[in-house]
Amino acid sequence: MRYSETLVDHFLNPRNAGIMRQPDAVGEGEYAGCGDLARVFLRVREGRVAEARFQAYGCGPTIAAASAVSELIGLRPVDDLPHLKPEDVERALDGLPDDRKHAAEVVADAVRAAAGQWLSRRG
Amino acid sequence: MTRRVYLDHNASTPVHPEVVAEMTPYFSEVFGNPSSVHGFGRDARAGLDLARERIGGFLKVPPDQVVFTSGGTESDNFGVKGLALARGRGHVITSRIEHHAVLRSVQALETQGFTATYLPVDEHGRVDPDDVRTAIRPDTVVISVMHANSEVGTIQPIAEIGRIAREHGVPFHVDAVQTFGKVPIDVDAMGIDVLSFSAHKIYGPKGVAGLFVRKGTKMVAIQHGGEHERRRRAGTENVAGIVGFGKAVEVRARDMHEEAARVGALRDRLWNGIAARVPDVRLNGHPTERLPGTANICYRHVESESIVLGLDLRGIAVSAGSACTAGNVEPSHVLVAMGVPLDWAMGAVRSSLGRSTTAEDVEYVIESVGPLVAKLRQAMPVGAA
Repeated sequence: MRYSETLVDHFLNPRNAGIMRQPDAVGEGEYAGCGDLARVFLRVREGRVAEARFQAYGCGPTIAAASAVSELIGLRPVDDLPHLKPEDVERALDGLPDDRKHAAEVVADAVRAAAGQWLSRRG
Repeated sequence: MTRRVYLDHNASTPVHPEVVAEMTPYFSEVFGNPSSVHGFGRDARAGLDLARERIGGFLKVPPDQVVFTSGGTESDNFGVKGLALARGRGHVITSRIEHHAVLRSVQALETQGFTATYLPVDEHGRVDPDDVRTAIRPDTVVISVMHANSEVGTIQPIAEIGRIAREHGVPFHVDAVQTFGKVPIDVDAMGIDVLSFSAHKIYGPKGVAGLFVRKGTKMVAIQHGGEHERRRRAGTENVAGIVGFGKAVEVRARDMHEEAARVGALRDRLWNGIAARVPDVRLNGHPTERLPGTANICYRHVESESIVLGLDLRGIAVSAGSACTAGNVEPSHVLVAMGVPLDWAMGAVRSSLGRSTTAEDVEYVIESVGPLVAKLRQAMPVGAA
């Protein structure tokens, strides 16, 4: 298998998949090269991520990356999220093949966009 | 242990045990070079001759009109380029849904001064023979149209196209890699001058294929360095592979009709079972004029590779209609030519059944697809793609 057990587990059992009603922030990441799309919803309490949910369209690794990131950012201060790197997402999946690195990029983009939206509203 | 179900027979097939048995002596006992004049060589030559007779007999053509090559891609390259280059310059007609072995060969000819027409197909993936007639010009030197498409399985009206080619005196090449040994081929009735066919799609070994070249057809070799294959194709023949190819063809002649009926019924059960359980699906290809084992199904708004991965994790082997390579997704050129909308085409998955496929396998796949697609759609952004 070319994917890690962690990635396969997130793909087969995605955590926090699906829409969030009345989120505090939403962000999207898109990879134009292959049309992959990730959307991350945040519910924020006292400056921290109280709940994260996602929707993703793309190959298996993109769905797994979105699932992993929804766990990774739980309880984190939103102030930290603009610094989230694709490498952080990849680490949470125990690695990605070279030709699937974009899965981490599109998901990291979505998280940063959601955080940016919340932070700009907070002012 | 996870159940394993192989539904990718259009990609390759397991070598039939009878074929393995026939090939085995040719690796170590009958190892001579068939071009050598001594006994070792003559023994190997006898193996080649038998295979050529079997294949010629299957196609109902003289054995000396069968040329062995290294694979379907070489056969297609040889067929298209060999015919075109023998005529110097001119115009080539092909279709938009050919295998890349033909498409890229025609494109290569275009860089050498040839011109080309790429015929459209209808929503079922069929070429209109009238379009062939319209495309023919005084300088047309080759017509190349595949017998059946590997992705959707649609069978082309080859006999009608062959008749038009004959009327205009244009040589006709047919890529029959997906049909040879699966559905009947009559090169005379279909007006075929050059036919590509391969071993590993019909339970023969990889690395061996063939080309029927009708006697008197002007072709140039595209590979040089020897007098093999009646000077058509230089290079020591893959004797064991060719022997296996001959046996595989003999087995197909015996089994193909019965298997086509059995596999066709399983394929229809697969589609009907999935369509009854999964919303927003469509079957691609011609409803009736289609390879017996092929079911190409689009799952709207789902990315095909995620379905392939999900099924692979359940031990099921199918293939994706769109491929994400280094971050670039290429929707299938076949589905694009058929006018399948992008939000459907990106979710195309091909199942190709074969001699080992059982009714239990098909039920297992049907039961696996529904929950997987539902889960993927749950994670999907509404209106994405």
